[in-house]
Amino acid sequence: MDARIWALAGISLVTVATFYLGYRSSRTASTTQDFLVARRTVRSRRNAAAVSGEYLSAASFLGVAGLVLKDGADALWYPVGFTAGYLALMLFVAAPLRRSGAYTLPDFCEARLGSRALRGLAAAFVVFIGILYVVPQLQAAGLAVSNILPIPTWVGSLVVTVVVIVNVFGGGMRAITLVQAFQYWLKLFAIAAPTLVLCMLFIGGGGLRGGHVTGLSEPLPPVFTEHTTLRIETPVLLEVEDTVNLVANGVVDGDKVSGSAYWTPLGSPYEVDVGTELHFYEGSAVPVVVGAPITNDLWLAPSTSGSDLVTTYSLMLALFLGTMGLPHVLVRFYTNPDGRAARRTTLHVLMLLGLFYLFPILLGALSRLYVPELLVTGSTDAAVLKLPTRIAPGLLGEILGAVLTAGAFAAFLSTSSGLVVSVSGVLSTDVLRGRVRDFRFATAIAGGAPLALAIVLRPSDISLSVGMSFALAASTFCPVLLLGVWWRKLTWVGAAVGMVVGGGLVLASLVLNTISDFTGRWAPAILGQPALITVPIAFLTVIVVSKATPARMPADLAQIRLRMHAPDGLGFVRDRAVARFGTPEERARMTDGRHRR
Amino acid sequence: MAVSAERAPDPAPARSRRRRPRPDPVSVLNAARGIADELREGLGGSGARTAARGVRRLLEVDCVGLADLSGRPVWAPAPPPAEGAAAADALVEQVLHTETKAGRPPLLALPLLVHHELAGVLVVFGNARRSAVREAAAWIVLALERGRLEASAEQAAQAELRALRAEISPHFVYNALTVISSLVSSEPDRSRDLMIDFADYIRYSLARHGEYTTVADEFHAIETYLALQRAVLGERLAVQVRVAPEVLAVAVPYLVLQPLVENAIRHGIEPRPGTGHVLVRGEAEGNDCVISVEDDGLGMDPRLAEEILAGRGGGDSVGLANVDRRLRHVYGSWYGLVVETAPGAGTRVVVRIPRFQPGVMPG
Repeated sequence: MDARIWALAGISLVTVATFYLGYRSSRTASTTQDFLVARRTVRSRRNAAAVSGEYLSAASFLGVAGLVLKDGADALWYPVGFTAGYLALMLFVAAPLRRSGAYTLPDFCEARLGSRALRGLAAAFVVFIGILYVVPQLQAAGLAVSNILPIPTWVGSLVVTVVVIVNVFGGGMRAITLVQAFQYWLKLFAIAAPTLVLCMLFIGGGGLRGGHVTGLSEPLPPVFTEHTTLRIETPVLLEVEDTVNLVANGVVDGDKVSGSAYWTPLGSPYEVDVGTELHFYEGSAVPVVVGAPITNDLWLAPSTSGSDLVTTYSLMLALFLGTMGLPHVLVRFYTNPDGRAARRTTLHVLMLLGLFYLFPILLGALSRLYVPELLVTGSTDAAVLKLPTRIAPGLLGEILGAVLTAGAFAAFLSTSSGLVVSVSGVLSTDVLRGRVRDFRFATAIAGGAPLALAIVLRPSDISLSVGMSFALAASTFCPVLLLGVWWRKLTWVGAAVGMVVGGGLVLASLVLNTISDFTGRWAPAILGQPALITVPIAFLTVIVVSKATPARMPADLAQIRLRMHAPDGLGFVRDRAVARFGTPEERARMTDGRHRR
Repeated sequence: MAVSAERAPDPAPARSRRRRPRPDPVSVLNAARGIADELREGLGGSGARTAARGVRRLLEVDCVGLADLSGRPVWAPAPPPAEGAAAADALVEQVLHTETKAGRPPLLALPLLVHHELAGVLVVFGNARRSAVREAAAWIVLALERGRLEASAEQAAQAELRALRAEISPHFVYNALTVISSLVSSEPDRSRDLMIDFADYIRYSLARHGEYTTVADEFHAIETYLALQRAVLGERLAVQVRVAPEVLAVAVPYLVLQPLVENAIRHGIEPRPGTGHVLVRGEAEGNDCVISVEDDGLGMDPRLAEEILAGRGGGDSVGLANVDRRLRHVYGSWYGLVVETAPGAGTRVVVRIPRFQPGVMPG
């Protein structure tokens, strides 16, 4: 059977399973005997799987492997940062936030600082961050679908948007915790099983094919494993380390070329225009996009240049502090019964994410060996999808490819659904002042706006643009959350000014960066990941302005802080009267109330 | 300037208007509203000084003092100079004892009688017409009355809530205890379980702490209630409870769900023969939590349901109207009960509450 049909079957299966699970668990009522089971709270472990399932996006499933393929050791900071963000969340925010009773970020702002104006501002930023995060998901979905079907990329984005919106409308996301937990295990299986099979094939096949490919630690560029013809879809600047013999048809360096060409290190970089076809011979060195490490030993070693180092630190800061400000992450914590459970959930999330991220890294390293031609076109995000058929031609490769495609599809679906639900929730409560119809309308907006952007904007690396929404979250919500939880003198004026300043700076650098992308890449690297500058400025602004407006501290400050910080056992969150009275035996029976046994 | 110029004809209107332009009614009304707002907490409240400042601006006098029953006036901007302060204190003392106005211009003291009961004294120092001062005193009295009414409305709402909590049907207590006692010898274990359920239910219904609880605890109360009702009604009652774990932590006012379930059983299932089904579900919908109580019992005329929700349904259905009013009071007018019903078609009552509402916290 054709690989495309397998992949299509995989995608359909994921979609149907998601629909069915949501439908079944929200429709079928339990019988009389087990109705007590129904009100059991969600255990931390399942909730953690749900958090991870919603969190593991296209950036994790496709983007990490792509970046590893391109940038090597430096790209490892992405999975590390994606995970470490939950450490910050667990240490500083999870439990107090849960105890505050807030459901969304605007809720927290209002509960802590008692200002409707700040709430509106926070809602605006939530919507903005959410949309910024959905755009790369949709673009990646378009990529994945166009990889298996002969349709343009935007149709794929449209299909995913429609599936997400229909799913939210039809109540498929109603039993969200269960569905998202299922999505995590699905994604873990979809990436772990193929990775293990591919690794076994790789080792069983004699490793590096008896020296036909470049080892990952050799000071040589990767080489083509077979005759390869590439069609350039977006203009690229290419660099070579050794002289490369190739056939080019199209426009290179502004001149029309047709026929054999020699590319030399001296002539680099070569500017290749859209529509050019490049034909490479088996065994020749792979040119890479300018800026990425050329040889494999450079690829394997961490970058030492100053500007790269600054960008890396900036990225780490953005990911570490940005996770707590993502709209779809915090709403999950509301499902925990108390602060302690919220913290335990986060611990489980750390473990689950750590496990998951092992596999994209392995896939990235393998794709450096087997699909180096992606380095030429620059569309490294497709590495995960193209790898299986290259390592294992035939049926096995097709099936593995289908599993990976289905997993990627699950990633778009779960993250986009979670974000669309969060964004439309905020839209309908804070912007449209809503009833049910408004919620539907809001869902349409929350899905439609990113779709339009995804089609208009030029697709860049998924993880990079996701990094930008992390930077935005870290520069707006992180100061408000951290200081809101731990600093009593925070005022709503300070929080509002800090959010506007931090968010404004990130947006400015985003705009400048986009302009520079279209007009010859003149912007410094820090504009691509500005968190190192914007986050400290945002913190400073919040502190200074709060100090200047001490009169705006909320009147019931002490009460709010007591609720956030008092240990759960003191019973500010839950009714503990049962546990206080009665004999020990009764207490043991009654603390769980009617659901004893 | 005089407030009374707006209401009563001035003795010499032409002359006074020529001397002073007619005051802008908007600014006068605005000042009056400000005074009324500041006096919401009474003369001893934090707004008394601001209110006195407002009265002074309105009457255009040197100082205005407001004293509560303690006899110590709050002055704006400051007590009258030198001997004036002592004279004013003496005057206040006199008014508090005689409950009639005292003094002569420039120092005047008027009693403030709220519902024929002395509440405080207004002291004015400066050149003001007696009629103007009288009107100002009357306005202050109105503001104080309004504050008291608001406070008592609040108290009434609280009392109503307490009343509803204590309102466990004697019929239900009697039936439950009878059933439990009949099981004591034949099924001692089950009767013990039911006894604990009963205690649990009573404890929850009579709980005195806090106004709000969680959906989880509300469902717990429903379940204990249903367990007892199933012991009473036996096979006639089939129950399904289904709640999504996402909404368990939502804060809700005490006892908003239990009366709905009780209604479904008492008015839907009990009065007719045969088995009846009650379905209670709670689920998340956007930022809201939606809980519905459904039965396949008798149902009713939609117009009757409207009457009941409006509080005109007679003594037997106070619960529904009460829940509806409390929900609107806490969450705003959008969040009332929705009743879907028709004769013979069962009843469905839907409660919609936001997952987060400032000030609504369990415990």
